[in-house]
Amino acid sequence: MRIGFFIGCNVAFNRPDLELAVRFALPRLGVTLEDIEGQSCCPTWGTLPSIDLAGWCALAARNLALAEKKGVDLVTVCSTCYGSLTRARNVILSDAAVQQKVDALLREVGKEYKGTSRARHIVYFLLREVGRERIREATQNCLQGLRIAIQPGCLTLWPRRMCQEGEEDPFHPTALKELCAALGATVPYYSRLLDCCGMGGMRSTDLSKSLILVERKLRSIKEEANPHLIVTGCSSCLLQLDMAQEFLLTRQRIHFKIPVLHYAQLLAICLGADIEKVTAMARLKADYVFARIFG
Amino acid sequence: MLLFKEPDPTIFDPTQSDPGLADTVRTLGAADIFACTQCGKCAAACPLVLTGFPFFNKRLIQTILMGFKELLLNDASIWACQSCNRCTEVCPQGIDSFGIILAARRFAVSEYALPAMAVEGLRSLYETGHAVHLAEAGPPRKKIGLPEKPPTTLASSKALGEVQAIMRRTALAKLGIIPMGPTGESLYGITDKKLW
Repeated sequence: MRIGFFIGCNVAFNRPDLELAVRFALPRLGVTLEDIEGQSCCPTWGTLPSIDLAGWCALAARNLALAEKKGVDLVTVCSTCYGSLTRARNVILSDAAVQQKVDALLREVGKEYKGTSRARHIVYFLLREVGRERIREATQNCLQGLRIAIQPGCLTLWPRRMCQEGEEDPFHPTALKELCAALGATVPYYSRLLDCCGMGGMRSTDLSKSLILVERKLRSIKEEANPHLIVTGCSSCLLQLDMAQEFLLTRQRIHFKIPVLHYAQLLAICLGADIEKVTAMARLKADYVFARIFG
Repeated sequence: MLLFKEPDPTIFDPTQSDPGLADTVRTLGAADIFACTQCGKCAAACPLVLTGFPFFNKRLIQTILMGFKELLLNDASIWACQSCNRCTEVCPQGIDSFGIILAARRFAVSEYALPAMAVEGLRSLYETGHAVHLAEAGPPRKKIGLPEKPPTTLASSKALGEVQAIMRRTALAKLGIIPMGPTGESLYGITDKKLW
């Protein structure tokens, strides 16, 4: 199966180790990953979506059109990219006036979006297209004995009516849990599982308020699940949970650190990737966790 | 911080209300705003409320419906919205509450009430095709075996040109908040009658 890779800004520049992990893992599970040359930012919420409805939809449609021309959908590891591309497509397909403007804007740059290609989030793509069985076979229960706390990522869950391939009940998400379990890990519940990580607009508007959310979440994770790793489906959650722990530690607001990985990184490691490389930009190193497992 | 000052209750003076505000915001992408019954379910699900921002979805919608333009423009909380979409999920009226926040931002921007970080993101988006761009990301990418530039607008001036051409046809060009001209000066005041 073929799929286009929508890299996303944070992944390309802040966490290229995650980009590497995707490029390593998917082909080893029978997925042909196509580069979508000339892709831009999704665009993210604080930019064009907050300025101009049709302009936002046109930039998103341009990205989708690039994939459409290659006859593929887009897969992304970032829930903002997933959310922006999915929502924009939703607006285009449901609002004729916006669609007309988008068509005109795209025509001016020699592009056309018919509405067939869409964005897919890697967690649901893996679950639906690759399947737990295939992942289990390829990774041989290699994480047996490991405890993982999961952080799904808001925009992959809500709103249900726009995330067509998402959870049956977004307030009881199961996809990421099932994927981690397919690697042999146990995934205990913790009460703040659904809490937002505090990244995004909140972090850039008021860091101290953003830290309230992430601290509360981390404490719940440590006290209730006491995991070896935190695994997320979203590159923004990855950045926030990784950076914030360092910040909170130096201010003595927490007294523990738990390495954070994106599921794609965890999968790549289980498929034999170089741990050093696919977690190169992580502030909290996870090597010691895997040293125990892989010897 | 002044930015998040509790709104003064006396500000709800109906004679100060702008009756056209709700209609204006509605046309900016908040088609369902009049269906709001102010039940507050969205607020119960909102991360902004959890962390103590004084201005959140329910209150924002109320402010728009009542026409209190200054109150809306004088608070930056709408820019702290996490875009998590819990509010849209739980609304018993089926309103796209997050869509209303985006529409409110579009209105705020049209009145030049936007934070510096939004300007930075827009500028970066226009200049590189990426809202988040780190010029120094090349060497670390290369170190782990990736090309220095990802296969995006960064690696193709034609693709970047397309993004810029689209952006020059949006409200952004009319606002003139970032330089968009070929020589770097602001194209303040440009309007294209063909599309808008």
